[in-house]
Amino acid sequence: MGSQNYDHHHEYEACVLENGGNIKGILTKEISMKHGRTAHNMSSSSLRMKSDIILVSKVHYGIIRNLLDNFQEVILGTKLSILFPAIPFAILAQCYGFARPWVFALSLLGLIPLAERVSFLTEQITYYTGPTVGGLLNATCGNATELIIAIFALSNNKIAVVKYSLLGSILSNLLLVLGTSLLCGGIANIRAEQKYDRRQSDMNLLMLLMAFLCHLLPMLFQYGGASMAFDADSSLQFSRAASIVMVIAYFAYLIFQLWTHRQLFEAQDEDDEENDSEEAVIGFGSGFAWLVIMTVFIAILSEYVVDTIEDASDSWGLSVSFLSIIMLPIVGNAAEHAGAIIFAFKNKLDITLGVALGSATQIGMFVVPLCVIVSWILGIKMDLNFHLLETGSLAMAIITTGFTLQDGTSHYLKGLILLLLYIVIGACFFVQRTPSDHADIANIMLHSATDANFRA
Amino acid sequence: MASRQITQEQQPWLLENGDPKRLTKEARHGHGRSRTAHGMSATSLRKKSDHALVSRVRCASLRNVLVNIQEVILGTKLSILFPAIPAAIIAHYLGLGESWVFILSLLGLTPLAERVSFLTEQIAVYTGPTVGGLLNATCGNITEVIIAIFALQSNQIAVVKYSLLGSILSNLLLVLGTSLLCGGIANIGDEQKYDRRQADMNSLMLLLALLCHLLPLLFTYTAASPELTAEPSLYLSRAASIVMLGAYFVYLIFQLWTHRQLFEAEEEGEGEGENNSAEEEAVIGFWSAFAWLAGMTVFIALLSEYVVDTIQDASDSWGLSVSFLSIILLPIVGNAAEHAGAIIFAFKNKLDITLGVALGSATQIAMFAVPLCVLVAWIMGVKMDLNFNLLETGSLALAIIVTGFTLQDGTSHYMKGLVLLLCYLVIGACFFVQRTPLNPNDVPNNITLKSFTDSVLSA
Repeated sequence: MGSQNYDHHHEYEACVLENGGNIKGILTKEISMKHGRTAHNMSSSSLRMKSDIILVSKVHYGIIRNLLDNFQEVILGTKLSILFPAIPFAILAQCYGFARPWVFALSLLGLIPLAERVSFLTEQITYYTGPTVGGLLNATCGNATELIIAIFALSNNKIAVVKYSLLGSILSNLLLVLGTSLLCGGIANIRAEQKYDRRQSDMNLLMLLMAFLCHLLPMLFQYGGASMAFDADSSLQFSRAASIVMVIAYFAYLIFQLWTHRQLFEAQDEDDEENDSEEAVIGFGSGFAWLVIMTVFIAILSEYVVDTIEDASDSWGLSVSFLSIIMLPIVGNAAEHAGAIIFAFKNKLDITLGVALGSATQIGMFVVPLCVIVSWILGIKMDLNFHLLETGSLAMAIITTGFTLQDGTSHYLKGLILLLLYIVIGACFFVQRTPSDHADIANIMLHSATDANFRA
Repeated sequence: MASRQITQEQQPWLLENGDPKRLTKEARHGHGRSRTAHGMSATSLRKKSDHALVSRVRCASLRNVLVNIQEVILGTKLSILFPAIPAAIIAHYLGLGESWVFILSLLGLTPLAERVSFLTEQIAVYTGPTVGGLLNATCGNITEVIIAIFALQSNQIAVVKYSLLGSILSNLLLVLGTSLLCGGIANIGDEQKYDRRQADMNSLMLLLALLCHLLPLLFTYTAASPELTAEPSLYLSRAASIVMLGAYFVYLIFQLWTHRQLFEAEEEGEGEGENNSAEEEAVIGFWSAFAWLAGMTVFIALLSEYVVDTIQDASDSWGLSVSFLSIILLPIVGNAAEHAGAIIFAFKNKLDITLGVALGSATQIAMFAVPLCVLVAWIMGVKMDLNFNLLETGSLALAIIVTGFTLQDGTSHYMKGLVLLLCYLVIGACFFVQRTPLNPNDVPNNITLKSFTDSVLSA
C-alpha cells in the first residue's frame, strides 16, 4: 500500500493533494493557475484527497472497472465525503415523515459535500472546454448551491429566505471566511510579512459598493416617498432596472477578469513543486452526467431545506432570519472556507482574497440580480430592498473590509476584527424576534394608523 | 538662569519636571522601552520646577514633602487652574449659582486630568514598560470614565452616552484636525509623513465600535414598536460590549507584545543628542505617586459629581441644550492635555505621535470606556444600551469614515486638518441648534406611541 509514505505526504502537503485515479493524473491544482483558473476553484481543491485505486483494480471487467473508477473519483474524492450518507438519510427522513427539523439538519449536512463536488466537476469540464469558457462556467456555477436554494425559495414565494440567504452569503464571505483566514494566517505567520496585491481586492470592493448602492436606494425609497403603495411599485421597477445594470456590470467584470486584465487576478507562480500540465480525471460526458445528477440532488435537498426552515425555526426557537443569514451560508461556503484558510496558512493571501471576495462579488452582482430577474419572469414581486438592519450590516461589512484591505498587508488583528464584526452581526440576528416579513407588519401598522386617523 | 530660559523657549516640549538630571520623555523611545504615544504627549505641558525656594527649608523630611508637592502640583502649566477646585467646592457649599459650580468644576477637572496621566507615567517607571503600557491603556481616559460612572449612578444615561460620544468625536475631529492644520501650516514646505498602519488599525477598531452602535440603533427601526425591541436591543448591546472588550484586550496584546514596532514612533535622528544618553528616573516615589493618584481620583470624583449634578441647571440658565454641553464642552475639558500635546508634536512634524494620541484615545474610549460603562450599568441594574440615536450615530459614522479616508495615503497637509476641524464645527453647530429634552429617545417615541395606541384603542 505504501500508506506510510502517503501519510507523510498527507501531513506536509495536505492542501496540495488531489484526487486522481491514475498516478499520472496526480498533480497539484496550483500549477493550473497558468491555465487561467480563478482563485475560487483553486481553493476547493484543498479538500480533495487521493483515492486509492488498488481496490478497484482487482475487478476484472473493463467497463465495470471504469465505472467504479469513475464513481470512486467523484464520490470519494473529497474529505467531505463522510457527509454523503446524510443525503439518503435526509430523503428517508422526508419520506417516512420524521420530525421536520431533522430533515432540515440532514439536508444542510448533505448539501456541504454536494457544493464541493459541483465545483470539482466544473473544474473537470474546464479541461475540455479551455480556460476562457471554463472561467465563464466557474463564474456562473461557482455558487450554484446558493442559486438553486434561492430559486426554490422563490418558487415557494419565500422572498425573505431568498434575500436573507444571499445577504448572509455575502456577509459570510466578507467577514467569516476572510476573517478566519486572516486570523489563522496572521497567527501562523506572525513574524513573516503577509502581503497581497491590493488591486484585485480594490476591484472587488468597487463592485460590492455598487451592489450596496443598488440595495440602498430601494430601501431609501421606502422612507423618502409619500405613500407606501406608490413606492412599492416604483421601488420594484427600480430594482429590476438596477438588476439589469448589475448583471451588465458583472459581464464587464468577467471580461476584465478573463481577458483584458487577467494578470491582476492570477496569483504569483509558485517557484517550487511539480510543473507538469494537468489532466482531467474523468471524461467530459461522465463529468457532465455527474454534474446533472449532483444538481438534481442539490435541488431535492434545497427543496427540503426551504420547506422545513420554518418548522426548524419554530422547534429550535431560532428566528428564520438567523437560520438563513447565518446557518445556510456557512453550509454553502464550507468548501471555500476551508480552502481559504489553508491558503492563508501557507501565506498565499492573494488566493485567499480571490476566494472570499470573488465569491462575495459573484453573489452580490450576479446571483442577487439573477434572482430578481427570475422572479420577474415568474411573476413574483421581489425587489432589492433588504430592509434597514440587513442593509446596514451589509454596508458596515463592505466598508470595514474595504478599510482592512487598503494597505496591502495583513496581520492577525485585522482578521480578528472582521470575525468579531460577524459575531456581532450574528448576535444581532440571533436576538431579533421579528417575523420573517417586516414589510407586512409595517403595512399593517400603517393601515391601522391611517384607519385610526380617518376615524378620528 | 538665562541659558535655561533660552532652552525653554526653543524646546518647550522637551522640558521636564524635576531637577536638571531628569531627562526628556522622548529619549526613552530611543531606548526601545515601549511607551505609548498617549503618555508621551502629556509631557508637553509640563514645566521644570524651580527648587531654589524649597531648598532653603532646613528640615530634611519637610523639604522632601515640599519637593514632592511641588512636583505634583506645580509640575504643569495648567496648575494655574488648580484654584478652581477649592473655588468649586466653596461655591457648592455656599450655594452659589449652579452654573458657577458647573463651570468651576470643569476648570478644575482640566489640570486633574493632566496630573493623573503624569502620575500614571511615574508609576510606569517603577513597574516596567508592559505593566506601564497596560496602566496607561486603562487609566488614560480615567476622567471620562469617572464622569460617566457618576452620571450612570444618577441615572443620566443620556449624559453618559453624549459625553463618551463627544470624547470620540473630539479626539477624531477636533484634536486631530487642529493638529494636522497647525502642523500643516507650520511645516508647509516639508513632507509630513507617518506610518499609516497604526492609523489603519485604529480606524478598523473604530469601525467595529461603529457597527456595535449601529445595529442597536437599526434594531429599533425594524420592528413595529420600540417597546418590542427594547429588550433584545439591550441583550445585543451587552453581548456587543463583551465582544468589544475582548477586541480591546487583543488590541492591547497586539500593541504591547506582538506588533509593538507598529506603535513605536521612529527614533529622532537629529538633535537632542545630549539628552538621549542617560536613563529616565522617576521624580517621585512609587508610594507617594500612588497616594497622589488616589487623592487626585477622589477630587476628580467630587468634581465629576458636581458636573453631573449641575449640568441640567447650567443648561437651563445658559440656554444651551444638555446634549451640546455634554458632547462639546465636557470632552474639550477632558481632552485638554492630550489636545495640547498632539498639537505640539504636529508642530514638530512628528505626526506618528500625534496620530497615536488622537486615534489611540478615541479607540480607548470607544472600545474600552463605552463597553465598560454598559457592563457597569448592567451590574448596577441600569438599562443602558449602545443605541446612541440617529443624529449621534450618524455623526460618529461620518467622523470615523472621514478620518479613515484622511489617513489613507500616509501624508498630511493643512487642508486635511481644516476639513476635519470644519466637520467638527458642523457637528457642534448641529447639536447647538438641537433643542431636545434630556432624554430624546424616550419622549418622542413614547408620546407618539401613546397617542398612537390611544387612537387605536379609541377606534
